Amino acid sequence: MVAANDDAEEVDATLRAVLVDVLGLSEARVAQFDESTPLFGALPEFDSMAVAGLLTELEERLGILIEDDDVDADMLETYGSLLTFSKAKALR
Amino acid sequence: MKEPAGLDYEIFEAGHTKEWLMRIGPRDAPSILFLPALFEEMNRTRALTAATMRLVAARGLACWLPDLPGTGESHAALENCAWEDWQSAIAAAARHVSGINKLCAVASIRGGALLDGHVPAPKRWRFAPVDGTSLVRDLSRAGLMGGGGSAGYSPPPGLLAALETAQPTLAGDIRTLRLASDRNDADHKVAGSALWRRSEPATSEALATALADDILKWIG
Repeated sequence: MVAANDDAEEVDATLRAVLVDVLGLSEARVAQFDESTPLFGALPEFDSMAVAGLLTELEERLGILIEDDDVDADMLETYGSLLTFSKAKALR
Repeated sequence: MKEPAGLDYEIFEAGHTKEWLMRIGPRDAPSILFLPALFEEMNRTRALTAATMRLVAARGLACWLPDLPGTGESHAALENCAWEDWQSAIAAAARHVSGINKLCAVASIRGGALLDGHVPAPKRWRFAPVDGTSLVRDLSRAGLMGGGGSAGYSPPPGLLAALETAQPTLAGDIRTLRLASDRNDADHKVAGSALWRRSEPATSEALATALADDILKWIG
């Protein structure tokens, strides 16, 4: 279903787009996220239902499968940790 | 904004239940049957779907949107519905619409694409189609995180099991649109947001316009 793509920048762009869509944040704000920007626990929009939506939308758009075991507070802590996780899944 | 030649509702016979069809546009005109997204995504994309229908109807086409048994205004309980009920309801809606005027195309949003194979239309247009596996994962994940149920919906196990293996048909003349930020293959990509993920439903006139323009251009 998904074309093979090893472009790390595209994963970064997709992750930002999904955060905009799921959390309802502005593109300008999410564009400023860097590796250390805190996410889960730091953004009021990022509740458990948003986590569910985020994971499913990432699966669909990146063509990956995220197991329940993959998901923990560390993975969701910062933009950098979520990006590292997404790249590891999408670019293998 | 003024409604183009009417907004109306009609009942159609969907197997053992009667369900509603919403129509925007003139009744006796070449038509497009819209298939909504499924479950919570249906609510979240309702405004986008209606806005797209309104724009297409403004060009003189009849745009129809059925309620699936157990959803929307349906009197059936979702708990008693099978996937086959949805398939036969869609086929019945298509027969109802075809009996009035020529059915030009079926236009589906997200999970609606899993049912469009049951519509005998010459063209199938899809926005951000999704496979059943992904919808089932999302339902169970949302239920898990939100504490109970499948995100407020309680589809029976039989429906979920059938949904799990459902894929959009590959047969016929198909056109697929996706968001620009979606890496999956598509015939055309449009700028916009995944409104089906928003906890607070939103619409986008720009996205609706892009979708309506593409439908009108494609069906010629």
